[in-house]
Amino acid sequence: MKFNDKSAQSLLTLLVFGAVLFICGGQAVGEEYDEETYGPEAPIIFVKPVKAVDFSHKVHTMGAGLECDSCHDGIFQMEAGNAEQNDDFTMESLYAGKYCGACHDGDMAFASNKRCTFCHIGVKGFERLHNDGKPADAGHGGGH
Amino acid sequence: MKVKDLEKLKNEGLENLPSGERRRFLQFGLSVTGVFLGGTVLSLASANKAQGALGGMSPAKKFPYSPHYTMVIRQNHCIDCERCKEACQTTNHVPAYGYRTTILEQARPIGPEENERIFMPVLCNHCNRPPCVRVCPTTATYKDKVTGIVMMDYKRCIGCKTCMAACPYNARYFKEENRAVDKCNFCVDTKLKESGGKTTACAEACPANVRVFGDLTDSTSKAYKLIHAPEKVVWVLRPETGALPNVFYMND
Repeated sequence: MKFNDKSAQSLLTLLVFGAVLFICGGQAVGEEYDEETYGPEAPIIFVKPVKAVDFSHKVHTMGAGLECDSCHDGIFQMEAGNAEQNDDFTMESLYAGKYCGACHDGDMAFASNKRCTFCHIGVKGFERLHNDGKPADAGHGGGH
Repeated sequence: MKVKDLEKLKNEGLENLPSGERRRFLQFGLSVTGVFLGGTVLSLASANKAQGALGGMSPAKKFPYSPHYTMVIRQNHCIDCERCKEACQTTNHVPAYGYRTTILEQARPIGPEENERIFMPVLCNHCNRPPCVRVCPTTATYKDKVTGIVMMDYKRCIGCKTCMAACPYNARYFKEENRAVDKCNFCVDTKLKESGGKTTACAEACPANVRVFGDLTDSTSKAYKLIHAPEKVVWVLRPETGALPNVFYMND
């Protein structure tokens, strides 16, 4: 009766998924964003070791229901940019379960080696945020 | 000539094309379109003969060059850090107003109100049937007979920019310093030479191994293996042009 087991499993998965969506959705619609509860609303932009990664508190706290102490200060220091100063702030460390990889392991959240561009916004994303989309060193170029 | 008849014509190839023929062809192009648009006069013919995803490689039993250089782009790993672009600029003295390689950005819907970011590295595709070579009036740009790299002879370039219009991949720019068109040459005079034919500046600089440079005639090379991996979709950009590009894309 393999088939039945499987369908029961997928039904369960669906129900759990649906419940999560319902809870998250309900919160997102009904509630105003409170920085005291959910952390700074502005995204944290990491530029090391590569430009650039966009981290949103909102997605993780208000969206996924994590508490401040889920990450602070065990996985990340409160102070933004602190982790970037560490030499081991790399994808390799994430794969080993450090930093974002503590949850992004393919089990709790999507794995660190999947969906790269979900977090990585690139130089283009960075420039859109900081220089209104123009390259930082854009002078008069060769324009005529 | 009708479009139907045009489709039936045999491709006369690039080799040994006398300049008289070339001129007649160009004139013909002008008379059909008014302007020689992008070197793709034949695109007036319907695209139903486009070879599709595996356009450049499916019929090849034997690759025409040796080493037959290629680049495989593992697109879903690209994060637009642009280290490739920086490495290329430094290695090949590319000015800020131009590029030999760059990264394009796309948004692909993955839900009603959700998009996925896609970064797409682009460079010269070193086509087997390069439209740029076909239109160059001074043979300043040509296929290297050994490696198949699409080369530039700056001294012969008169800066007419017809190749820039003909290139389906927008892979050429006019370099003021040289008073000539410049483009990717797989680092043939720089990194490729230094590395003994192993890598290019961009491939070396990529932290995510997005760009895999290699030789298609070497079935043990990583590039060959990626392209020929079972159950993987490999595609080329703009296969409908019939240029038979040598830069392959996949999600790996």
